[in-house]
Amino acid sequence: MAKSKTYIEDIERTLYDVRDENRPRFRSGTGLSEEIVRDISRRKQDPAWMTELRLASLAVYHETPMPAWGPDLSSLDMDRIATYVQPDAVMAGRWEDVPEEIRGAFDRLGIPEAEKESLAGVGAQYDSEVVYHSIQSSLTKQGVIYTDMETALREHEEIVREHFMKLVPPRDHKFAALHGAVWSGGSFVYVPAGVEVKIPLQSYFRLNAPGAGQFEHTLIIVEKGASLHFIDGCSAPKYNVTNLHAGCVELYVREGARLRYSTIENWSRNMMNLNTKRALVEAGGLIEWVSGSFGSRVSMLYPTSILSGEGARCEFTGVTFAGRGQHLDTGATVLHAAPRTSSVIHTRSISKDGGAAVYRSGVKIAAGAKGAKCSVNCDSLMLDDESRSDTIPVMDVREDDADVGHEAKIGRISDEAIYYLTSRGISEDEARAMIVRGFVEPIAKALPLEYAVEMNNLINLELEGARR
Amino acid sequence: MTAEKEIVYDRIPVPTWRWLGVNEVRVPAAVFRDAPIQRLVTIPAGETREMTVVCRSEAAFEFRAELGPEAELRLTRVRLSPEGTPCADKVKATLAENARLVYTAVELGGDGAADLLDVDLAGDGSRADVAAFYFADGRQRLDMNYRIRQRGKRTDATLVVQGGLSGEAEKNFRGTLDFARGAAGSAGRERETVALLSPKAVNRSAPLMLSGEAEVDGRHATSVGRLDEEKLFYLTSRGLSPADAKRLIVLAAAAPVLDRLTDGALADEIRSQIEGRLSDG
Repeated sequence: MAKSKTYIEDIERTLYDVRDENRPRFRSGTGLSEEIVRDISRRKQDPAWMTELRLASLAVYHETPMPAWGPDLSSLDMDRIATYVQPDAVMAGRWEDVPEEIRGAFDRLGIPEAEKESLAGVGAQYDSEVVYHSIQSSLTKQGVIYTDMETALREHEEIVREHFMKLVPPRDHKFAALHGAVWSGGSFVYVPAGVEVKIPLQSYFRLNAPGAGQFEHTLIIVEKGASLHFIDGCSAPKYNVTNLHAGCVELYVREGARLRYSTIENWSRNMMNLNTKRALVEAGGLIEWVSGSFGSRVSMLYPTSILSGEGARCEFTGVTFAGRGQHLDTGATVLHAAPRTSSVIHTRSISKDGGAAVYRSGVKIAAGAKGAKCSVNCDSLMLDDESRSDTIPVMDVREDDADVGHEAKIGRISDEAIYYLTSRGISEDEARAMIVRGFVEPIAKALPLEYAVEMNNLINLELEGARR
Repeated sequence: MTAEKEIVYDRIPVPTWRWLGVNEVRVPAAVFRDAPIQRLVTIPAGETREMTVVCRSEAAFEFRAELGPEAELRLTRVRLSPEGTPCADKVKATLAENARLVYTAVELGGDGAADLLDVDLAGDGSRADVAAFYFADGRQRLDMNYRIRQRGKRTDATLVVQGGLSGEAEKNFRGTLDFARGAAGSAGRERETVALLSPKAVNRSAPLMLSGEAEVDGRHATSVGRLDEEKLFYLTSRGLSPADAKRLIVLAAAAPVLDRLTDGALADEIRSQIEGRLSDG
């Protein structure tokens, strides 16, 4: 059989690349200084402890070196990044009250429609501030809190203070410190013990301003025996200057609780996505990560699960699609710190047109985590010779009563599979299409239907049968 | 091991998080108090050589092989240094078209032992067949960094590593299959199986796979855990003591590697040392 290569359409970005006309009410100066950080804190009317946390984080940022591993970040110049851009809008509880040009961005992305059809609550952030937040009244009556972080800081200060940047301390790495200094916006969710939130909540983050950063903070607490599905989505129009996303997600999954955290990340190709996500899972709890990474020029994203209680579990399902000019370094880390904890990591990556997809993971089984189990499976598909695909997994096992397995594959679409399908009457083009769709299917299956459709739209697997 | 001065002897090809402790291979500076013993072997086109290197006391040993087209090297390296002796072994091989390296390594010795392998499958159709067994106990520290670079077309690499860790032993194994752009039609398989025989042993495994070429078939698998309980149950139900059953299972894991040794006396010596150390443990 003659060698041929599948041509896979690049991600359809038209929808996301529309630039909105909203002029910000305030835009901080570029760069990072104590003056700028104090100004952000003053504008946000932070309590004193938060101002101190910001300033302490800034000091850590300045003394922490850039990562000595991973993608090249040399083009990131903080002196050209505006860390706070306040949109010309106040937070609204009705879409009608959101300024039209801002609402247009979310309308195009189908967020208000999704809220009507399939969501129990929605948060929408535009540049540095949340402009819309809603939650079904039935959930409010059960004690569920879903609001923006600034409101949470005012109305639930003690809870926020107890948890804020405790899982991801500013000293964790340089961009955690940056986040601590200039964070703005994000969502706060509190689910009381025993409450099952059966319909997902979704926060959507839109960065419209060129040369700006977005540093939203998401804090979710799911109390004992409760459950929640939370979805976050991100996008931005493309500019010729670098934008930066250094958000932070802290998830607390209490005893016997269950949290599914789904992300469809589709930042524009001028974005540096240096996001940090971490979950602490207590006894019998479950964290499920579903992660789709499609956008950004550079991405460094490795959700971490700390399984701190007996029988705590983690499931990570991820897909990464790296096209031209993209270096997407993604993966997961898991710390098994208690007996009979278990984790499953399942990833798929596709690289094409010179894109680089890197799977990176760290699994640690601590001494005493008797009966811990971990299974890792990562497969990579390369669609041409210009691209790269690397897997960099590390397992650190300090307990003999543990079972850790890792499997990985790198390759292209197999000739044998094509031969098998074509010998059964399927055209070669359709056979290739089936194989690529099948490759990402395990991930699509983990998403709610409407988001699986969104993912398929993102990948836009229109296999044209074009040969190169 | 005492906290004496260390040097960075080698690095992982692509660094990762420092907290995982696998980016650098460090060895005690004392290893290089004397100059390393070095060997350079050139194997002409079409010829076959078989060599066995047993390191019993030398602190550092560096072996370099250059294989011409169609040449074959069957190299066995065994490290049996006395307890407490830091050591470092480095094997590098470059293969021309259709050359073949059959490399067998047994790592039993030293405290603060570094074991490096760097194979360059530069020629089209070149092949590497690597099998290694290690056993560490007491407070031994073993640091392994194996890398097979597949640069030629239709190269083939197999990397199979088995080992056991007892006592408070600590081991790092980094195994990298690195497919360069242009290595079309190449295949690489890597498998590591680690048996943990003690709750205080520490194992780190980093099976890397790097690829700049689409038309390759790369696979790796790692399995870390305690001895197979079904096997243990079977053997003890037939009258073996748990200690004897454990010994038998570890020796069985070593068998595929030891079977490749042509020196029967050396294989017996290795078996005997493993048995003795398992009895002590």
